[in-house]
Amino acid sequence: MAIVADAGVLYGLLAVGAGLATGLAGIGAGVGEQGIGAAVVGVVAEEPGFLGKGLFLMLLPETLIIFGLAVSLILMFAWTPFSGIVTP
Amino acid sequence: MLRPVKMSRVVVAGSKDVISPVVEKLHELRLLHIVSYNGNQPEFELGKPIGKAKEYSEDLIKLRSATRYLDIKNKAPDKTYPESQVLSEMDNLLNNVGAEVTATFERITAIEAEVKSKQDQIKALTPLSVLPLPLDAYYGYDSLATFVGTAATPVDADVARVSPVNEIYTGTAKNATLVAIFVPADKAGEVSAVLSEHGFSETSVPKLEGNVDSAIATLEGSIKSLDGEMAPLKKKLADMKKQYEDLMLATDEYLSMQTRKTEAPLRFAETANAFVIDGYVPSDQFSRLKNELESAAGGRLEVQLIADKEADDLVEKGEDVPTQMDNPSLARPYELVTRLFAIPEYKEFDPSLLIFVFFPIMFGMILGDVGYGVMTFLVLVLLKKRFRTEGWQQLINIVMIGSVWSIIFGVFYGEIFGPLGLWGRVMGQLPEAELEHLKSVGLYFGEGVYGSLGRLGPLGIFPMDRLASNAVLLLIGTSIFIGVIHCSVGSILGILTELNYGEKKHAYFERLPVMLFQVFFAIALLGLVMGQMIMVYLGAVVIVVSIVMMVMGPEGAMGLAHVPSYVSNLISYLRILAIGLASVGLAYAANQLAFYVIMPMLSGGAKDSAEFTIPAIIVGVLVLLVVHFINFLLGILSPFMHPLRLHYVEMFTKFYSAHGGGVEYSPFGHVRRFLKA
Repeated sequence: MAIVADAGVLYGLLAVGAGLATGLAGIGAGVGEQGIGAAVVGVVAEEPGFLGKGLFLMLLPETLIIFGLAVSLILMFAWTPFSGIVTP
Repeated sequence: MLRPVKMSRVVVAGSKDVISPVVEKLHELRLLHIVSYNGNQPEFELGKPIGKAKEYSEDLIKLRSATRYLDIKNKAPDKTYPESQVLSEMDNLLNNVGAEVTATFERITAIEAEVKSKQDQIKALTPLSVLPLPLDAYYGYDSLATFVGTAATPVDADVARVSPVNEIYTGTAKNATLVAIFVPADKAGEVSAVLSEHGFSETSVPKLEGNVDSAIATLEGSIKSLDGEMAPLKKKLADMKKQYEDLMLATDEYLSMQTRKTEAPLRFAETANAFVIDGYVPSDQFSRLKNELESAAGGRLEVQLIADKEADDLVEKGEDVPTQMDNPSLARPYELVTRLFAIPEYKEFDPSLLIFVFFPIMFGMILGDVGYGVMTFLVLVLLKKRFRTEGWQQLINIVMIGSVWSIIFGVFYGEIFGPLGLWGRVMGQLPEAELEHLKSVGLYFGEGVYGSLGRLGPLGIFPMDRLASNAVLLLIGTSIFIGVIHCSVGSILGILTELNYGEKKHAYFERLPVMLFQVFFAIALLGLVMGQMIMVYLGAVVIVVSIVMMVMGPEGAMGLAHVPSYVSNLISYLRILAIGLASVGLAYAANQLAFYVIMPMLSGGAKDSAEFTIPAIIVGVLVLLVVHFINFLLGILSPFMHPLRLHYVEMFTKFYSAHGGGVEYSPFGHVRRFLKA
């Protein structure tokens, strides 16, 4: 059975992949931030001066989304094997 | 700049007779960072307070109780006082004013308690109004037991069963049945058991007279008169606060200053007739300190500079050299960012100047919108007048410089409240044929954002649309490029710091390879993108060399475990692009929603903006305001927090945290705020 590479289907699959990459990374970061967020709220209730450091700590897992986003961007814009097909 | 102020270790020794003028002078000069004597040497003992230490602290306690009652908090001074005025008014302030404040405050507290108890009584009385009994019928019996309260189900029959002699009154209040039951005292236990089966809950009846309604009216009347009495008292407190606020804070300052002076000798070393003070002073101030102190003590004192080698020995033994950051005034607010992380050690670099360079650019690149930039700036100008404490002022200055950069980048990106929002409409667009040409040569950076002046920049790409794919690719590259520079600067500082501490192996085999790795990783990537394989090969070779160097380094093969984090460090800088994209996306969506969905829809499908109806425009503008406002709030927080993280995690770790926090230079003395010098 021959596999027919349809440009539209491939582009669609790329878009789905890109969406999954950012979306799943977002969930991951969210799970990470949940624990930190709860702890930070607890600490800030005791000691309001910790707010700055707490907000900063909450940002640490956000790198995960950035990785996901980087993968998405590469898929959508910069992945040369498909660029011939996906250029609109 | 980058290095803290140079410090010298000094010893001040003098006769005990002159300790007071010396302390006074030190306090006034505010130069000497005192190192507390730890009591370790047998020939010296810890100093004792001088003068009226106890009196001052007692006065301070008196004053602080009054300031607490008046709810006076530390604030920026509106008025300043000469010390003589504070002294002459202190007695009156502490005794007469203080007593009056306390009396007034206590009376208010008593009234509040009384009002509260009367309100509780009213609350208890209100349901009783459905029963036909006067209040004095509820209490004062010897042979009768009384039950008053709410019951879930009718109780008459069951009560009658256990106690044939009874009197029961029932009334229906809003959502409960109220009962008052009188039975002989010896049946109380059985009746109580029966009642509990009916969901009875008891109400306590206040011991008052007359009928319920008139009792409530009396209580309400007395609450009113108590409130009437309280209002002028509160006003009196508010007036007193207004009148004495600054004077009280000035007195507080004066007393704290005196307490600190009298207790200063606790940090000195003493013998029977002499005292010794250890400390640090900025090197260029040493001669001033020496001259001033010697003239204050009339020659009965010696100020000596400790030689560098001896001073190093003291540091070796665990003494901390204080760090005074030294930055140009424009960069000084960024010391707050440094301080939030840690005070640099004396031998380390102070990164505030670098933060001043990189932070606002990152902030600007992320926010990058003329509209948001101007709004941020205006909001900050307002806040700057409102929040006048030093910390807030620094924070506001930090963001303010960032907002200027975001206006600059907004021009590069062609964004005023989002791309395609106003810019393209006001400035016009490039002709269709030119757009086609740009697409074909791969220089298409979005449409609708080009000004009538054409485009600027080396490639002729500004203003560009950040949402166009070429722009995204360009910004990916730019972000990584900034990351490489940022991390490399950090690594260079790291190498220099290690050399300062004399750790050559750490410098050349731990810090240097990281820099090589990151720089040449980026060069290899760039080569891949540009198709220059020579750059890829070169990059690969240097990366291998750097990895070999890491293995030879102090951590050995374990050093390799960090390699993935060096790559992720660089990828982390993509957040500069990513967070910007998120906020452009939201702004773009808001504009699309308003101009291309809501306004045409509510105008009955009109395509041209001239045909929009007034209600459609109003709704559209409302949507614009709300979405842009939300975006604006997010747009200030993220561009602030994320560059902060880039500094703390990606840059500072390269040179900073290796040796732990330093001690900030805090000279003995006081910055006068409410007191005139």
